[in-house]
Amino acid sequence: MRAWHFQLNPIIVKEVRTRMRGMRPYLILTGFLVLLALTGLGIYQLMLQQARFGGTVLSAQVGQALFRGLSFVELLLIIMLAPALTSATISSEREQLTYDMLMATPLRPGQLLWGKLFAALSYLFLLIFASLPVFSIVLVFGGVEPKALVKTVVLLLVTTVAFGAIGLFCSSLFRRTARATTVAYLLVVLLIGVPLLIGAVWGQFSNPPGQPPPPMLYYLNPLSALFAVTTIEPGVIEGGFDPGMMPFIAFDFSTGGLPFLHLLSSGVIFYGPAGVVVIPIYRATLIGYSLMTVLLCWMSAHLVLPHRRWHLRWTDLGFALLLIGLGAVAYFTHAWWYLVPPPLVMGPAG
Amino acid sequence: MIPAIETINLSRRYGRMIALDQLNLRVERGSIYGFIGPNGAGKTTTLRLLAGLLEPSSGEIRLSGQRLVPGSGQRLVGYMPDFFGVYDDLRVWEYLDFFARCYGIPSDRRSRTVDELLSLVDLSSKRTAYVQTLSRGMQQRLCLAHALVHNPPVLLLDEPASGLDPRARVELRELLRTLREMDKTVVLSSHILSELAEICTEIGIIESGKMVISGPVDEVRRQLQGGAQLRIRVLHSVEQAEIVLRGLVGTASETLPHLRKVRLAPTEERTLIIELDEADETLQMRLLHYLIGQGLAISEFRAQAENLEELFLRLTAGE
Repeated sequence: MRAWHFQLNPIIVKEVRTRMRGMRPYLILTGFLVLLALTGLGIYQLMLQQARFGGTVLSAQVGQALFRGLSFVELLLIIMLAPALTSATISSEREQLTYDMLMATPLRPGQLLWGKLFAALSYLFLLIFASLPVFSIVLVFGGVEPKALVKTVVLLLVTTVAFGAIGLFCSSLFRRTARATTVAYLLVVLLIGVPLLIGAVWGQFSNPPGQPPPPMLYYLNPLSALFAVTTIEPGVIEGGFDPGMMPFIAFDFSTGGLPFLHLLSSGVIFYGPAGVVVIPIYRATLIGYSLMTVLLCWMSAHLVLPHRRWHLRWTDLGFALLLIGLGAVAYFTHAWWYLVPPPLVMGPAG
Repeated sequence: MIPAIETINLSRRYGRMIALDQLNLRVERGSIYGFIGPNGAGKTTTLRLLAGLLEPSSGEIRLSGQRLVPGSGQRLVGYMPDFFGVYDDLRVWEYLDFFARCYGIPSDRRSRTVDELLSLVDLSSKRTAYVQTLSRGMQQRLCLAHALVHNPPVLLLDEPASGLDPRARVELRELLRTLREMDKTVVLSSHILSELAEICTEIGIIESGKMVISGPVDEVRRQLQGGAQLRIRVLHSVEQAEIVLRGLVGTASETLPHLRKVRLAPTEERTLIIELDEADETLQMRLLHYLIGQGLAISEFRAQAENLEELFLRLTAGE
């Protein structure tokens, strides 16, 4: 009888050995942390400047601005790095002519994909966790709920895996890394840029004109999702807003004093009759990204096969069950994530 | 005896193109089988089919009598592709360790296996060197070692000698001899016959996806030549020798061999090539005795094996 023995995925062992070799990974890590630290410093200076010009800046507001600014920089870095790290995983094996040698071993496509994805993303996870001390500056100023912190970290992790899966899929689909990387970034632009572009012109083409774009348009846009996570809904009292519960009232409510972020408010912040409403679109983003990740991994698992690519296998049952499970979760929780914005506040004429 | 490899009417199509057409191959256990053919003949397709990297369009493959189904042959064969890649950023021992892990070799055996293989391919001194720093010949040997990591009974080597310098080729030949002594069945392909002629016990010539001829080297040579050749060199008066030998052409003699044709060797002086039906040692001795008796000063007398390269060209000419 063959003795059972536990063995680490060989791909993970190899990738970790090579990925952490030399100066490059440490330089990237250092650059990443320096960029985050500089961002934090820049936001702090911005707050100080606003205080000098007569604004009232509370410590909590500084904390919130720092938290939001750092989260966005981290998300942008993830968006840029995740596809780059994974779009070479399979295609490089083909380019290096090692693909056949791997396929001639008993290594299963699932092991290959999982190993490649895990190894590439573990480096990004390392960046995320290494940045936590920088994030801890926020605690000095306060103003951020632990719940928001957890939501942000979860959103960052899910986005990392989803964007990594985009790169992995492109790498499995194309033989050349250059093409895989280009298409992966095109898909990223499609997910992020196109909804923002459509949202920007939505009001001009809507009927009646001036309608805000629906939140659905931004469901798969991680920037809008992070905006929703890091925006604190103002407290509402009878007859209007409670100024004491509006943390960013001294500046601009939706951006917390940070430049450019107001561009992301569309589809997230709605001005209803009862006041300002923040639509938590990150819920739909989490579900959408989970479905997208499973779907892309399933397609990659077939694309990576040397032959009989689309023949059904036992592993497909696992993917199908996972997809059905996620679909069921999405269906039964639709009241949680599918939120209809309040009707638009109309002027006296309306 | 059950052959190590057997293919039955094996065909493979790429769209409308037939890369392999009803190939029937039989490779006995412990033999070194040379698969020869021009570029595009179907050698790589055959080896990839045997390695389980391609699926046959029709026909079947049997390894040690067991029918090969997708995903079943990886532990039975070791495969070295024609254009092999190496992970440049790995050390030599890590490279073999990685493939040992891929084959699920437990950790207590892995280190020993790596050391034994490095010793076998003479790379023990390069154990901690990066793969990218190895010469082409060393990388070829390392790649061969990777194919042996799970100790398979069958080795498939696609163009193992391509791009190697003469010294590396000699080293590769030695390595293949060692593998034969280890009772491995080796199938190797080449489009250069001279690479295989010395080392193979059996050869198969493939052309346009069809097997032209297959069998033990001597048998193939005999079948292709359709007779024997003798090479005779004289000290002087090659004309006289030619007259004496031409006198024997077409004559029926019980004691002397039956000569078909006599011609001057095109590139050598005072040398004649004689084509005859057969020439065992007794007949050769009698002919030599006769020629000396005719007063010819013979300085060299030997059976001439026609170059396999020439036979191959003749066989595939006009295809």
